[in-house]
Amino acid sequence: MKPETVVDFDVALIERARRGDAKAFERLYREHVGRVNGLCLRMTRNPDLAADCVQDAFIKAWKALPRFEARSSFSTWLHRIAVNTVLEKRRGSANAEIAVEDPSEFEEPAMVLDSPVEEEELEAAIESLPQGARDALVLCGLYGYEHSEAASMLGIAVGTCKAQLHRARGLLKDRLERGVR
Amino acid sequence: MNKRLSRIDELAREIPPARDLWPAIAAAIEADKAAAGVPAQSRRRAGWWPAAGLAASVALVAIGVLIGENIGHQPVQQAGIPAHSTNPAVMPATLRDAEYRKQRDALWVEVRAKLQAMPPAERAKVGASLDTLRRSITEIEAALGRDPANALLQELLVNSCQEEMRALTVVRDSGREEIGT
Repeated sequence: MKPETVVDFDVALIERARRGDAKAFERLYREHVGRVNGLCLRMTRNPDLAADCVQDAFIKAWKALPRFEARSSFSTWLHRIAVNTVLEKRRGSANAEIAVEDPSEFEEPAMVLDSPVEEEELEAAIESLPQGARDALVLCGLYGYEHSEAASMLGIAVGTCKAQLHRARGLLKDRLERGVR
Repeated sequence: MNKRLSRIDELAREIPPARDLWPAIAAAIEADKAAAGVPAQSRRRAGWWPAAGLAASVALVAIGVLIGENIGHQPVQQAGIPAHSTNPAVMPATLRDAEYRKQRDALWVEVRAKLQAMPPAERAKVGASLDTLRRSITEIEAALGRDPANALLQELLVNSCQEEMRALTVVRDSGREEIGT
């Protein structure tokens, strides 16, 4: 992921939360809940299920705080827990694996669209993508994670993640051209 | 107003959840703290007065009372040492289980006997804590009666009833270590 500043403010709150201070953890929740919910909502496409995932992710984070290593980004750590939670809730609907012979063929530039589109239209097109492609696009294209980080969060190979992102871009382009909605 | 976007990463990463998820997370954290704290504390205080364990339980269910009050206050019968007023229609499935109810009622019988054998001052303190627990459960049940589909209240009721069982066990077992050693 593009380096994210580990703010001292967060570090102090994490330390207090680690010692059992729920108020400090609530401040961390308030600060991060928007991003976590955005991630879960885009992965699940269901506001209620996303809210369940967010709730569970923060509860898991509280329990796992003693194992959090302060030198890593709290936000990335939290997102990893949230992605795991979404995957657990999906249960059984496994990510489709795409066979990849040469992952380097899928190296992609930034997520630039061919022509500007309305925000709502773009959200709808992303929502319409198949699960595996959508996950890769949301994590890499929107939240800025490297393929290796996104692949690790999703429990798939790096090559698969690249292939899914490539597929997502193709489908997205196609759907935006045809007009999803 | 719908913005026009040229890049995927121009989409908002933060999307606040439709409702505040913190109360449910806070309740789970309190339950976690209580579960972690009660056994150790009750072992340290092996005498008649199981205050530490009860305090943790009372703290947990107090959250239920706050939420119950937010949803709408109804007068609650003073519990004394309870006549079980649980309304099966509003109970989550786990609490309708006959075995659970049998165990809980049996525990109450033992605890009543234990209370009778306590010195008056301690009996008053322990009785008051158990009253608070039972009153909290009654309040949550009343709130659930008004809003039976409320998942948060259902979870609080389950957690509170588990705390009740834990507290009753602490009271029942209090003094046993002294007797045994």
